[in-house]
Amino acid sequence: MPKVHFYPDNRIVEVEDGENLLRAAMLAGVHVNASCGGSSTCGKCRVIIEQGKAEAKPTAKLSADDIAQGYVLACTATVNEDIEVRIPIESQMGDSKAALDRELETVSYAGFLSAKDLSELFGEFTINPATKRLYVELTPPNLEDNVSDLERLRRGLNRQHGVADFNVDISVLRKIAGTLREADFKVTATILSLGGGECDRLVKLDAGDCSARHYGLAVDIGTTSVYVELVDLATGETLAKASEYNTQVSCGEDIISRIVYSLKKDGLQKLQQLVVETINKLIDRVVERAAVELDDIVYMVAAGNTTMTHIFLGISPKYIREEPYIPTATFTPTVEAKELGLRMPEGARVYTVPSKASYVGGDITAGLLASGVFKSDKLTLYIDVGTNGEMALGNADWLLSCSCSAGPAFEGGSIKNGMRATKGAIEQVRINPATLEPMILTIGQTKPKGICGSGLIDAVAELFLTGVINEKGRFNLELDNPRIREVDGQGEYVLAWAADTSIKRDIVLTEADLDNLIRTKGAIYAGITTLLDSMQIPVEAIEEILIAGGFGRYIEVDQSITIGLLPEVEGEKVKYVGNGSLLGARLVLLSREAKDVVIDIAQKMTYLDLSTNPTFMDRYVSALFLPHTDRDTFPSVMRRMKAILSA
Amino acid sequence: MAFQAPIEQYSGKIREVTIGTGDNKVVAGGQNILTFYDFEGTMPHRPLIAMEVYDVEPQDWATALKDTLGSVWGDPVAWAKKCQDDFGADLICLQLISTDPNGADKSVDEAVETVKAVLGAISIPLIVYGSGNADKDSEVLKKVAEAAQGQNIVIGTAVEDNYKSVAAAAMGFNQVVSGETPIDVNMAKQLNILMTNLGLPAEQILIDPAVGALGYGLEYAYSVIERDRLAALQQNDAMMQMPIIANMGREVWKTKEAKISREEAPEWGDPTRRGILWETITAVSLLMAGTDILIMRHPESVNLVKKTFAEFGLN
Repeated sequence: MPKVHFYPDNRIVEVEDGENLLRAAMLAGVHVNASCGGSSTCGKCRVIIEQGKAEAKPTAKLSADDIAQGYVLACTATVNEDIEVRIPIESQMGDSKAALDRELETVSYAGFLSAKDLSELFGEFTINPATKRLYVELTPPNLEDNVSDLERLRRGLNRQHGVADFNVDISVLRKIAGTLREADFKVTATILSLGGGECDRLVKLDAGDCSARHYGLAVDIGTTSVYVELVDLATGETLAKASEYNTQVSCGEDIISRIVYSLKKDGLQKLQQLVVETINKLIDRVVERAAVELDDIVYMVAAGNTTMTHIFLGISPKYIREEPYIPTATFTPTVEAKELGLRMPEGARVYTVPSKASYVGGDITAGLLASGVFKSDKLTLYIDVGTNGEMALGNADWLLSCSCSAGPAFEGGSIKNGMRATKGAIEQVRINPATLEPMILTIGQTKPKGICGSGLIDAVAELFLTGVINEKGRFNLELDNPRIREVDGQGEYVLAWAADTSIKRDIVLTEADLDNLIRTKGAIYAGITTLLDSMQIPVEAIEEILIAGGFGRYIEVDQSITIGLLPEVEGEKVKYVGNGSLLGARLVLLSREAKDVVIDIAQKMTYLDLSTNPTFMDRYVSALFLPHTDRDTFPSVMRRMKAILSA
Repeated sequence: MAFQAPIEQYSGKIREVTIGTGDNKVVAGGQNILTFYDFEGTMPHRPLIAMEVYDVEPQDWATALKDTLGSVWGDPVAWAKKCQDDFGADLICLQLISTDPNGADKSVDEAVETVKAVLGAISIPLIVYGSGNADKDSEVLKKVAEAAQGQNIVIGTAVEDNYKSVAAAAMGFNQVVSGETPIDVNMAKQLNILMTNLGLPAEQILIDPAVGALGYGLEYAYSVIERDRLAALQQNDAMMQMPIIANMGREVWKTKEAKISREEAPEWGDPTRRGILWETITAVSLLMAGTDILIMRHPESVNLVKKTFAEFGLN
């Protein structure tokens, strides 16, 4: 791996071949001004390559003179060999010593569960989906061989594929005669095998051989966001993905307001339609992207929290909200896609991943499956940071779960310039402690459009460590800096000026945003400590923390600890799962064994109800502070703060 | 073998906060025990009683109050002197209600004049509370702190929305700050952290937990104060070791039980006795929970609380 040596900070960082130079600087903890997210439009990240070569795209922001002197824009340059880079004073805007005094640590990201880990995990399950598409060539009937069309098909499937016995959907039966004759008795039968004592079922019959076109959908139905993946059920490969805000958001941001809405006249129906519309839109998108026929998608597995699952299936979530908080069902039947209004062919089926309790849903059981917690020998804390923050503690032997209402902040909801982790979202932020100038990077290195979860964690941590905000998330308006201002009686920090953005408005972080973020991180932290204390397990005993959620790629462990989202743990213990719910849904889609495992998880896990827990509220209020009211539990953050204060 | 009562030892101690100067100063806190648990440690100073003085003539106050205090209403100087000379107050708490912008909206200068006049007339230490309007209080208390420089008074309350300016005034003119949070252990601690982060010494801070009166949240106040105290003593939490001040007189005397006349509620008996007992029970309960300074209203309630002190051998 090539090394980059930064001057005058005198820091060396090793990066992947082809890494972006601006990202390398961020990794090294070196400040370079960058306000356009790395889209090469602001021209502020000028650096000089003193040794070695870095490939850089041409830019009008540099004169011929500059180029001759070795200047490049860090955001356009890639690192392919060992290089030495000087950050000129104008790119740090001021006193580089101040930046050094702050002792910017080199960054440790929550390691991704790597593709290798995942394949190991997936490798345990052979591809064995609930549906099969079987091509059969039948002998046409004659006066001697005059069994019924269905018997003929049954005979063919038994002889050619060993499928002896199955029931049949009436919708298929009605069309059998026509399809067989149109197709010259060469057809593809889609057989659904649910197992668990249920008879196989013929759900679809198509003309010709479409056995090679066997697709399914994995869906994560979040309170705020919905994700859809199109999966090839023969190879296990994901062909396309798409995501979108759940249109239900217009009826309320959190679960409780959705339940309230569902109680209105036609409210449940409306909510059900809205989420189905969202999914349908995403189905159209993945079908188009993967260039497959909608008609070949025969199965869907959806995971979501209990309320989302109820609404998706058109079951009233009313009693989830009323004491003693009972869902209608935690295990739900496989249903016909048509019945839910999904844009899938007739006969296609939908399975929803089982929930544990009213507020611990299929998203978490799916996540525990996908992340391998269910078979881990390490004491693991699994946290799904969604609108409903759900988490589980345990290992292969036991699991304890709980949930808290965290709010949609880390998904960009209830944040003025918040957005999901998609192109143009600010995902990394550094703030120069001397000049308070930011260094931002966006997903796709395009002009910033908004800020996503990982960017928000960074921004809050940086604003706090640089003294721009206090422990309560209030701005220090006495600081004389154009980026810190008061608008309508509310403090805010300008992350990107309008000219540098793609929305042509300033991208800001306001006090109201900070309130929401602090509430969100407070709820999650309070959930974590309640869970740990109820098992009398100290933080140090946790061997692995797995974070799931739609944060964006770069979650920095230190920054997450700085804002008190995570307890103080060693960085290498923390891993980022990504969308665990979606991963789990994909596994269940691909493997009937995985489905058995997820059912087992849902049955065996213990549920801790925080709404009746006398200590939760107290823990929550104490977590509404940066990093936490009980500062002794965050010694490293206190040390960092002290170092900065004395600098 | 004789029975040995179990003894709890605490690692923490309540900070001593001095109010006033010279021979007339008083000290709150200093104990390493729960209030009155003198068999477990020491309580060098007995809890203090501040008597309330309003800067305007009270309206609609209970007859029980009018009977004893009515003659000095409308004259804060006379009222303060009476509390000091006749009723044995340890401190005076001047409530600058008239500065409320939603009420009489008296100016900062007028408020300062009242403070100066009261300060000039009494020898016991002074607490000055604003109207409870965060913005106005920050202006008023700043000037009050300046005017009372050298007197080491308490100014309050500092709340989340104005703590910066109130704490700055206290630092600038060397006064004590009473920081108010809505009856929550963590929020009290958070405000203390914020104020000490600004550079205000912990020895210049009192915790006002916004208590309720008997029948109106007293049990909640009790348990929060007790938890404040246990955090200070058991967990040795430096940010919880400030003395606690309870602004309780106004809470007691706005309750129906303390105010309502005999005609309206004959079955409730003598209204004077009732009001006084309502205040006394609230006061003693708050003391038991851990309060160091009570802000009280009726002289007879004050008298009864002092008798309680005497029974504990505290004078």
